[in-house]
Amino acid sequence: MSEEVKVEFEPRIIGFTCNWCTYAAADLAGTARMKYPPNIRLIRQMCSGRVDPLFVLKVFLRGADGVFIGGCHPGECHYMTGNLSARRRYSMMKKLLESVGIDPKRMRMEWISASEGIKFSDTIKEFTAQIKELGPGPFRHIETGGKEQK
Amino acid sequence: MAKGDMYLAQASDEAILKRGEYGGAVTALLKFALDSGVVDAVLGVKKRDGNNRYDAVLDLITDPKKVIDCTGSLHCVSLNIARNVKEYLDGAKRMRIAVPCKPCDARAIIEIAKRKQINLDNLLLVGLNCTGTLPPVVAKAMLIGEYEVDPKEVVMEDIEGRTLIISLADGTKIANDLLELETKGYGRRDNCRRCNVNIPTMADIACGKWGVKEGEKKTFTEVCSDKGAEFIDNAIKTGVIKVEQPGKDAIAERKRKDREAIELSSKCEAEDLKELRELSLDDRLAYWLHLFDRCIKCFSCRDACPICYCKKCFLEPDRGYVKGGEVPPDRMFHLTRLAHDGDSCVNCGQCQDACPAEIPLTRLYLMLNIKLSQMFDYVSGMNIEQKPPLIAAKDEEASIDDINHFN
Repeated sequence: MSEEVKVEFEPRIIGFTCNWCTYAAADLAGTARMKYPPNIRLIRQMCSGRVDPLFVLKVFLRGADGVFIGGCHPGECHYMTGNLSARRRYSMMKKLLESVGIDPKRMRMEWISASEGIKFSDTIKEFTAQIKELGPGPFRHIETGGKEQK
Repeated sequence: MAKGDMYLAQASDEAILKRGEYGGAVTALLKFALDSGVVDAVLGVKKRDGNNRYDAVLDLITDPKKVIDCTGSLHCVSLNIARNVKEYLDGAKRMRIAVPCKPCDARAIIEIAKRKQINLDNLLLVGLNCTGTLPPVVAKAMLIGEYEVDPKEVVMEDIEGRTLIISLADGTKIANDLLELETKGYGRRDNCRRCNVNIPTMADIACGKWGVKEGEKKTFTEVCSDKGAEFIDNAIKTGVIKVEQPGKDAIAERKRKDREAIELSSKCEAEDLKELRELSLDDRLAYWLHLFDRCIKCFSCRDACPICYCKKCFLEPDRGYVKGGEVPPDRMFHLTRLAHDGDSCVNCGQCQDACPAEIPLTRLYLMLNIKLSQMFDYVSGMNIEQKPPLIAAKDEEASIDDINHFN
């Protein structure tokens, strides 16, 4: 009989990152050996505008604790206005999450250009800390069968 | 004649004048639209079997003589006009139709026209003032229980300020306090209580009884678009309606009644959503998930929604977002609908009417829509030129760096 070990809550964050900026920034952070928490799993998109609000919902419903979206600074979108649409959707999603009762703080979007490796690692550090504070996401139990402890 | 002009109108035709509750101007105008060839058809609302006020049907009328059959307002039905035009009349792409509609119908039509599913150029929207409709089953129960009358004997319902007045065939009128009825579970539809658009200024013309003196058989008509102006101009020239200018007091009276109705709606809105707004996030999520679990995945809300139009719907099992054959469906079901329609919801209440599990969907949509309207400075269904906010990113925004610019 093994004694149950209390594990510290490690958030699972899904990051949707733009191929042209934030994904490259993450790359840069990696090659420059900057540290950032391993809690984020990046999914590369061709543009932050590709991030359908449904992706965010699905990610939450499948047990993620936080969602991060990284896009190019306004005016620098590879596809002209993809990031501007993304900002509108992000603003809408925040309100939607709040309306149904998911903490909007669990979602975050940032503009991070390809040269901003430091900003990327800082943002992820900050966001991970914030999610740690908020605790497990509302649907975490679905995936883990309720076994995971806070 | 121009946009913004107002008239007190009355039908010239004796038969229509006699039939109409407020001078028959709307019927006369619809008939004129057909007669003059401005439209190919009128999409009227008729009592089923000619006498059932609690169940109405849409009728595509091409014979001007038959327009008179849809005279009179029916408060106990609320047909899904926008969806029907889109679905069964090919979005009015091949025929010109005059559509008498409530504000929510007009807004839904405009909202779906933005998505190119209805050709607005082919429609003549004859807007009718509305301060709410009643669900038919509840209305019948209310008439028996509260008014103590046989629903079959009712010839007219009317909402005047805060009272609901029922007129019987023998001429008696019974009035009851609307809000009192609503606390007992009767009264208007859930969404109508909270609706703050009473005068359909987004239509081509807006007709109503506000601003008309008690007992006078006239319709207050406002011209709301250039198309409407041209139409009314011709109608007056041909002499199908007699018009007079409304006095200043009539215009002020109409404004006052509108303002009162809006005040009442915001009071109801605050009341209805108070509980939800005060819930903590966790409790709110639990509240909605509990309701979503009542869903039997009948797809009625999607099929009834006048804004939904995708040919290949995300909610179909083959799209991989929602698994097939699961009841209750995955939570994605309702959240997807909310994400897709929340910004453009016109608070028509069709989804909730259609829901067999009685999920109070309009509350969820309204709560989000109020926030989005403020955020994007966008009121759905008011202006065809204004694109839905999620696809309306403007080039100027490229110079705004703040990620929380809208929040």
